[in-house]
Amino acid sequence: MIPELPDKIIDLTNVSVGYKWKAKTDKIVKSEISVYALKGELVALIGENGVGKSTLLRTIAGFQPHINGEIRILEKSIASYREKELALLMSFVSTEIIKVSNLTVFDLVSLGRYPHTNWFGKLMQEDQNIIEEAIASVGLRGYEYRMVNHLSDGERQKVMIARTLAQNTEIILLDEPTAFLDLANKYEIVNILHRLASDKRKTILFSTHDLTTAIAESDRLWLMLQNSVEQGAPEDLILNGNFNAIFHNKNLFFDPEKGDFRIRKANKRKACVTGEGLPLHWTIKALVRNGFEVIQSTSQSTIDITINYPEWTVNILSIPHKFDSLHALCRFLNLSENNVSS
Amino acid sequence: MTEIKTNQSHNNTHALRVLLLLSLLLPLFFLFDLLIGSYYISIGEIVKAIFHAENTDSQIMLIINQFRIPKAITAILAGAALSVAGLQMQTVFRNPLAGPDILGVSSGASLGVALLVLGTGGLLGGTMVSVASSWGIVAAAWIGSGLILLLIIMISSRIKEIMIILVLGILISSAILSVVNILQYFSNESMLKSFVIWTMGSLGSVTNIQLGVLIPSVLFGIIIAFFSSKFLDAFLLGENYARSMGMNIYFARMMVFISTAILAGSITAFCGPIGFIGIAVPHIARISLQTAKHTLLIPGTILIGALMMLVSDIISQLPGSERTLPVNSVTALLGIPIVIWIIIRNKNSDRL
Repeated sequence: MIPELPDKIIDLTNVSVGYKWKAKTDKIVKSEISVYALKGELVALIGENGVGKSTLLRTIAGFQPHINGEIRILEKSIASYREKELALLMSFVSTEIIKVSNLTVFDLVSLGRYPHTNWFGKLMQEDQNIIEEAIASVGLRGYEYRMVNHLSDGERQKVMIARTLAQNTEIILLDEPTAFLDLANKYEIVNILHRLASDKRKTILFSTHDLTTAIAESDRLWLMLQNSVEQGAPEDLILNGNFNAIFHNKNLFFDPEKGDFRIRKANKRKACVTGEGLPLHWTIKALVRNGFEVIQSTSQSTIDITINYPEWTVNILSIPHKFDSLHALCRFLNLSENNVSS
Repeated sequence: MTEIKTNQSHNNTHALRVLLLLSLLLPLFFLFDLLIGSYYISIGEIVKAIFHAENTDSQIMLIINQFRIPKAITAILAGAALSVAGLQMQTVFRNPLAGPDILGVSSGASLGVALLVLGTGGLLGGTMVSVASSWGIVAAAWIGSGLILLLIIMISSRIKEIMIILVLGILISSAILSVVNILQYFSNESMLKSFVIWTMGSLGSVTNIQLGVLIPSVLFGIIIAFFSSKFLDAFLLGENYARSMGMNIYFARMMVFISTAILAGSITAFCGPIGFIGIAVPHIARISLQTAKHTLLIPGTILIGALMMLVSDIISQLPGSERTLPVNSVTALLGIPIVIWIIIRNKNSDRL
């Protein structure tokens, strides 16, 4: 036990997740999971499709039993909680898009009060205030009486997050909350989650395929790799090289400078580029996409390109060719390669 | 803050206003239904018969008390019960085309009646047919639907996935109806006719004494539905969300299934299988009340269902003629255009 980390809100030790069919034939999706989340942390769960992210989330949410190991929620084994008790500690947002007609934002968020209200779900003044505050804190004030199925995907996801706030739980679990969203909405949702974790001290665990936002906003990553599950601050995991083990695909490699995956290209030809600023940056990008390795020094085997924006000059066999766009330049280079090879 | 609150009261007032309007329409249609019949009775006489029974012609009293009032009350009960049952099934299965008979409860009732009318009738050489005319049919239908309910509860307490329960319900339903078909195939002509007439549905065969059983059954089913309204709201988001909010899905399902089976089973037992009201009315209620909250939708479906059934009954009398139509055909002809409209509307965006 490390003394300076006292409040592990979610704590998994050697957990196996999967499906219990019969006593002998458990189908284990992932085993040896030992990870934790501290109070007020935003944790991103990252891994390839089919590696068991959803299974792990569903297991932590208490929807399915774990097969081995120990899951502790707020220092108590998850098995010792009843459904109603878990609902007061954890709320959940699934990947499913809710399509219910005639359901207002207010009514949907008010469902979050479910574990707090009486048999008929009667809302007291306190409940009303909590619901209004939840709607306001995801930036949807004024949307209370809009119908949920008339909202955009991004707005709908914010409503689902507001519902977890109305449930007023220590822990919020979200299964791919940014899956259907455009770039701006992805950033906004993850940013809202970050704010809720740091300001309201919620412990938030979300699965995602969007590395850029996860790396930028999360306090901790749970990386589900092929053979193990690693955790740590995103930057620590980049530095120790764990990211490269996420995907089976050998043609994908993690670029630790850019913080994202790229496709490995067979670099057949070498180019040396002279230029500066943004034109230089994007010229290199275009060349890499077209299978060039861009090197610093010129030699016999390189193609030399000089940028004098908005003009590119290529010298081949001492004959200068001039181009007015990168598109024209790339087409020329590809054609010349094809001519050489044929 | 105050602005939000006025908004919210505005939000519910629309639904409450519609409910008020509907409950004003109900007695009007009830009276109108009493007016219609093969024997002409004027409004004045009907009002007199209800409020000053002692001064009324005894023959008119007989027609009103023994025939028209029980029939109109039965129409209200059937419409309310089937619509509330349909609402619950559509919500729990999250399927806009689910109806009260989706669990197979109505098919179970059919099997009970078929066994009584066709089976025992065949064995005992037709002597049972007369017994089968009232209480026998009711009892047989009730036992049939009760057994199916037990089967459904057994299945649903073992199976987590709600869609599998839906598929099993449909399969069980089809299997039972095949048995009913076999019984029909081997029965003689007169028994077959009395069974087929039962399947056409009738509001007029329920006596005052039988109402003494039907009214408490329907009330009981509706009360259970009211007590499930919070569960039903949570079911709208699907069972995963419902569980994550602390709902015991097995218990909630059980409440809903028992209520549905009592409602659909009792109406089928007393009136025969009546289709389409239970599918169409919940949609009309959602659209006219503009809400998804079951504390409002349940009274809405009760009122709209009762009104629809009164209208169906009025149409089935073919006002101005001596003949009547089987009520099941009328509800189908009223309900099917609505169901078609739902399907076309669903293609565009909404689900429930």
